Amino acid sequence: MNRREALSRVSLMLGGTLSAPTLLAFDRWSQTNPESRENGASILNEEQREIMARVAELIIPKTDTPGAVDAGVPDFIEIILRDCYAKPVQDVFLTGLGDLAGKGLLTASPDQQTTLLKQVEVQALANTKAGSVSFWQLIKELTVWGYFTSEAGIKSSFDYQPIPGKFEPIKIKPGQKDFMYGNQV
Amino acid sequence: MNLNINAQKAQTYDAIVVGSGMTGGWAAKELTEKGLNVLVLERGYEIKHVEDYKTAMQDPWEFEHRGKITTVAAEEHYASMFFSAKEGSQLNFTNDKEHPYIQKRPFNWIRGYHTGGKSLIWGKHTYRWNREDFLANAKEGLGIDWPIRYEDLVPWYTYVEKFVGISGQAEGLAVLPDSIFQPPMAMTAPEVHFKKSVAQKLNRPITMGRVAHLTKPQPWHTAVGRASCQFRNRCTRGCPFGAYFSSLAATLPAARSTNRLTILHNAIVKEIILDDHAQKAKGVRVIDQNTLEVRDFYAKVIFLNAGTIGSTSILMNSKSARFPNGLGNDSDQLGRNLMDHHLAVGARADIEGFEDDYYFGARPGSLYIPRFRNWGNDKKRDYLRGFGYQGGASRADWSRGGAEQGFGADFKKRMTQPGPWKMSLTGFGEVLPDPNNRFYLSPDKTDKWGLPQVVFDADFNANDRAMRKDIMNDGAEMLEAAGFKNVTTYDNPAAHMGLGIHEMGTARMGRDPKTSVLNKYNQVHTCKNVFVTDGSAMASASNVNPSLTYMALTARAASYAVAQLKAKSL
Repeated sequence: MNRREALSRVSLMLGGTLSAPTLLAFDRWSQTNPESRENGASILNEEQREIMARVAELIIPKTDTPGAVDAGVPDFIEIILRDCYAKPVQDVFLTGLGDLAGKGLLTASPDQQTTLLKQVEVQALANTKAGSVSFWQLIKELTVWGYFTSEAGIKSSFDYQPIPGKFEPIKIKPGQKDFMYGNQV
Repeated sequence: MNLNINAQKAQTYDAIVVGSGMTGGWAAKELTEKGLNVLVLERGYEIKHVEDYKTAMQDPWEFEHRGKITTVAAEEHYASMFFSAKEGSQLNFTNDKEHPYIQKRPFNWIRGYHTGGKSLIWGKHTYRWNREDFLANAKEGLGIDWPIRYEDLVPWYTYVEKFVGISGQAEGLAVLPDSIFQPPMAMTAPEVHFKKSVAQKLNRPITMGRVAHLTKPQPWHTAVGRASCQFRNRCTRGCPFGAYFSSLAATLPAARSTNRLTILHNAIVKEIILDDHAQKAKGVRVIDQNTLEVRDFYAKVIFLNAGTIGSTSILMNSKSARFPNGLGNDSDQLGRNLMDHHLAVGARADIEGFEDDYYFGARPGSLYIPRFRNWGNDKKRDYLRGFGYQGGASRADWSRGGAEQGFGADFKKRMTQPGPWKMSLTGFGEVLPDPNNRFYLSPDKTDKWGLPQVVFDADFNANDRAMRKDIMNDGAEMLEAAGFKNVTTYDNPAAHMGLGIHEMGTARMGRDPKTSVLNKYNQVHTCKNVFVTDGSAMASASNVNPSLTYMALTARAASYAVAQLKAKSL
């Protein structure tokens, strides 16, 4: 049977709610990078890692709570890229980092960095294609996911309730943080 | 000589139960409680209740991949990856690469080869079948008539429900008969509104999902160590509170407390061994999955509870001069009329308002909308039978952020607050029995234990697919009746058998040995001391979740088997 089709079936149970990057991660039929998994080596060089960390911090900056870098998001993204994504997706990610290097992200002012990233976002949204994934989708999802499942991210962002003990409808209090139950993994 | 006799004695029990899952646990409990020495044979590895639920108490940041399975794990779990696509539960699903099967037509064969089987990972929605479910085949001339009626099962439904513990609301509906209930779980505010609107405008009742979770444990629940649901919704990692029903948490501990239970793990049953006259089974031949050592075990009665495909495969593989096509297969019905529920079709909506409403806790379960098509006064449709829905309304959490536009400090802050309400409904449709929907054993491909691989050759038929239009449109109609916005429908054309994980049929019950494999007590017609009481016995599929009916059939068959043994009729 068509394996790409089989892949799309993965999402059907969830009513198609899986995002494109998540779906692509299941693309077991594409080449992976077993060498790097075995020796635990990084698939990113120094500059690529620096750009990735900068973008992650722009997506979730340090405010009165920790930012993406404080929460270890760059390390997390590297692990996921290496272990959970197929080679074509890794290549999309590396190309995206290369583009930002070419545009001088690391030497730009904070305002210029934000402007540059907005351009990347607009372009990604304009070029959305079914069955493919953009660098922006990947790094956005990975940053959000890495941050809001990290210990620092969870404890500073949410009312973490690993054992709620009950289920009941309630009214929201002013300024109420979202609850986090830790069941998403 | 003496040595052999002694060895045989040591390997002889009153009863052998093949499988430790949903129905194997029940067979073990009932047979041991009625005084039999029982050997349970589990083909997979041992999982100890609570202590082996290694990931159950882990926080999200303690998972290296934060829940995502790796490309390697996805390859190993190709059948179950849509369901086990989480790092915390993948070990509770079978490694499909190690246990391969063949898809002549697409089939996701999702398995749990370990103590407790799929009772460790099931969805837990638990419903009685209704009167019509047992009459429909006869009325419509489809398949064969069930040899039993709803009334035959009522005392057994009641019996198992009390022990299982099912939270739910009594509604008095003929289409969805009430069980013995624990208190129901609560509905969210938009769900309450939805229920009211649909009742008023469309006259369709909606109830809280009936799920096998304890919400008010009774003494017989606490006696086996079970506690109330903690609303963590981490169920597929295993519940350290024993709050949802599984054989690990409930039936196996009950059986163990009789001191008449022996469980052997890593024991793959290759075939059933017949006595010299080929009238009865005398035991089973077992392959150790690790050492490949072959051993025989003997008993007066054998219960097959290896899961629909597993149990029928064992019968198929039990060939003899008397049964050249598999044990009890004079009718050529083994492997035929494979059924599931078809799903991956429904409707979704955004919900405006209810900004002040929220909820505390992670609820395992959802609303349930019972079948209303081809029922009561409903105008006859262009298809037979019907469907129900599961679904619910909840607020989006941080995970919406990946797809939401924007980044930076404001975006970050927004993700820490509850998101907008959304509602979705997923249909579960009845699949008709069809002799051409089947599986068989490969004539040439074997697994690493030398056993023939299973070949699936089944798909939904025109009737099954015809009702999917109604599932979409009726779902959208209900969401609109509640005033919800941006209503959309979906129907994945790639939906296929197996994804419902409700495999049924392939060794159906019936009155006539010429057209069925099992009689009304789940005995093999032509080999009376072999009972098959899992999904393979089903003659039709209903549209509600089947586990409760398997459990009731198992308790009923066990009671009958013991009575027959006592009367020396087996």
